[in-house]
Amino acid sequence: MTDKPGKLPALFAGAGYKYVELPIVYPARVFVELAGEELRRQLYLTSADGGEELALRPDFTIPVTLNHLAAGAATRKAGYSYLGPVFRLRPGETGEFIQAGVESLGRRDAIAADADMLKLAFDAAALFGIKKPKVRIGDSALFAALLDSLDLSAPWRERLARAFGDTPRLKRFIANADGTSEPPHSEFAGADVATVRAAVAEHFAATGLGEGGGRTADEIAARFVAKAELARGIPKRAAGALTAFVRIAGTPAKSLAALRKLAEREGLDLDAALAAFERRIDAFAAHRIDVDALAFAADFGRRLDYYTGFVFEFPSRGNGPLIGGGRYDRMTAHVGDGKVAVPAVGFSVWLDRIDKVGKR
Amino acid sequence: MSAPLILAVPSKGRLQDDAAAVFAIAGLPLVSGATRSYRGRIESLPNVEVAYLSAPEIAREIAAGSVHAGITGADQVAESADGRATLSLPLGFGRCDVVVAVPEPWLDVETMEDLDDVAASFRPTHGRRLTVATKYINVTRRFFAGHGIADYRIVESLGATEGAPASGAADLIVDITSTGATLRANGLKIVSDGVILRSEAHLVASKAIRWSAGQKQAYAAVVAKLKAAV
Repeated sequence: MTDKPGKLPALFAGAGYKYVELPIVYPARVFVELAGEELRRQLYLTSADGGEELALRPDFTIPVTLNHLAAGAATRKAGYSYLGPVFRLRPGETGEFIQAGVESLGRRDAIAADADMLKLAFDAAALFGIKKPKVRIGDSALFAALLDSLDLSAPWRERLARAFGDTPRLKRFIANADGTSEPPHSEFAGADVATVRAAVAEHFAATGLGEGGGRTADEIAARFVAKAELARGIPKRAAGALTAFVRIAGTPAKSLAALRKLAEREGLDLDAALAAFERRIDAFAAHRIDVDALAFAADFGRRLDYYTGFVFEFPSRGNGPLIGGGRYDRMTAHVGDGKVAVPAVGFSVWLDRIDKVGKR
Repeated sequence: MSAPLILAVPSKGRLQDDAAAVFAIAGLPLVSGATRSYRGRIESLPNVEVAYLSAPEIAREIAAGSVHAGITGADQVAESADGRATLSLPLGFGRCDVVVAVPEPWLDVETMEDLDDVAASFRPTHGRRLTVATKYINVTRRFFAGHGIADYRIVESLGATEGAPASGAADLIVDITSTGATLRANGLKIVSDGVILRSEAHLVASKAIRWSAGQKQAYAAVVAKLKAAV
């Protein structure tokens, strides 16, 4: 490592973020419940004396959020910075590596907070001699608005929402949504919820399986009936709009024009999401960020469901980003007992990667 | 004499009997060691040392490069030695499928796509993730990831996996089945596209150990003889 990483805490402190030292070891369930089994396979696991499964922290965002929730009212405004080791099993890269970054919680002026975050990320990159990075940006709020304005049944809207961030999968869903690939269930076809519910209850009795803490007969029957909607697929027009949407990419200005054109042609109400997108770009420009050098892609997003809007990435030449950040308004509602959704945005610098770029 | 080829052979149950039978038919009867029962040899191949281990151990030792080769299931290789072993020869016994099985009353779940829908909507309703009991942790992760399923959690099972949904230990399972009878007896059904792999016992070579010319030669002799027998 060069001496450059050591300069980040001062940069972050100057921007008003308070440095926090956080534990390295956490109960594994904290990470697994939030990010799922996919993250678990990257975790360094061990166990406590009593048998509880523990994990070395795989990132700082979750620990910072837990720390915030433990120390006071969830919705209070606070900015944190960190620097230290994180641990992930990564093929071809070291399992222990250093990250630094910031997290902002509780700011209600989301657009300004997004812009401040991207500006600070540019300043951090500049410390490593990275002058004109090709930064990728995305906004899942646009996709959410598109889904809301299209003529879709609820089960299809959920499927498509979940595939955002994984474009090949999203395209596969769109292709399979023509109403031919999913035959309706033969037994009880067209039956109502009560009939199906009674059948499910009989099956529960016959197999001796209890509903226990698992899926209930009500739940199974409701989804059974909803499957008819899946079988009907989505309208051709909606499939066309989705396909056109995921293809949109380029400078923010060009992308905004393309999105407006699509909305107008298809009669979609994307006004609020597009206005927010435009205000955010204006806020970037006000921070003297070269907005024409930003690479927007309509399909760029993170698959983790707690990310809710603006995302960005400073790409490396090899694996993974040099800096990755975004808005995760749903995280506080998912972790611990925090039932309240607190606006949150932040970024992490992958110091092992960025420090190498800086040396070249 | 140069260092022998270490060949791991199942040490218990049906697999041990079937493996011993195949070696006998191939004219390579296994001879148990006089003093150490977990070591053996093959009379006509003095450059081979037989190590008796359980089938899961054999896959792990092959992956670790502490034995050259062994007899174990393709399911064990997929779980513990993925990319670190070569399946040299299928042996025609120990057949089983690794499958995704859900409670039979889940009338709405027929495909992995259904399971993905259920997994995604499970936490908002139940306040926890959908759980899958299995001994096949790596196989399950790969298969679920291939189907884009992320919203679940594995509960490691150390035996009698098929009872996990009934006992409330997990919502569904990934396990081996040969006839499906045990699954049915436990009120479970196989998801239609949930057959993860069709397994049988194989002669398996390690890619994680150094092979001398003599060891390669001895292994080629074992492969040729067994091939003629199965």
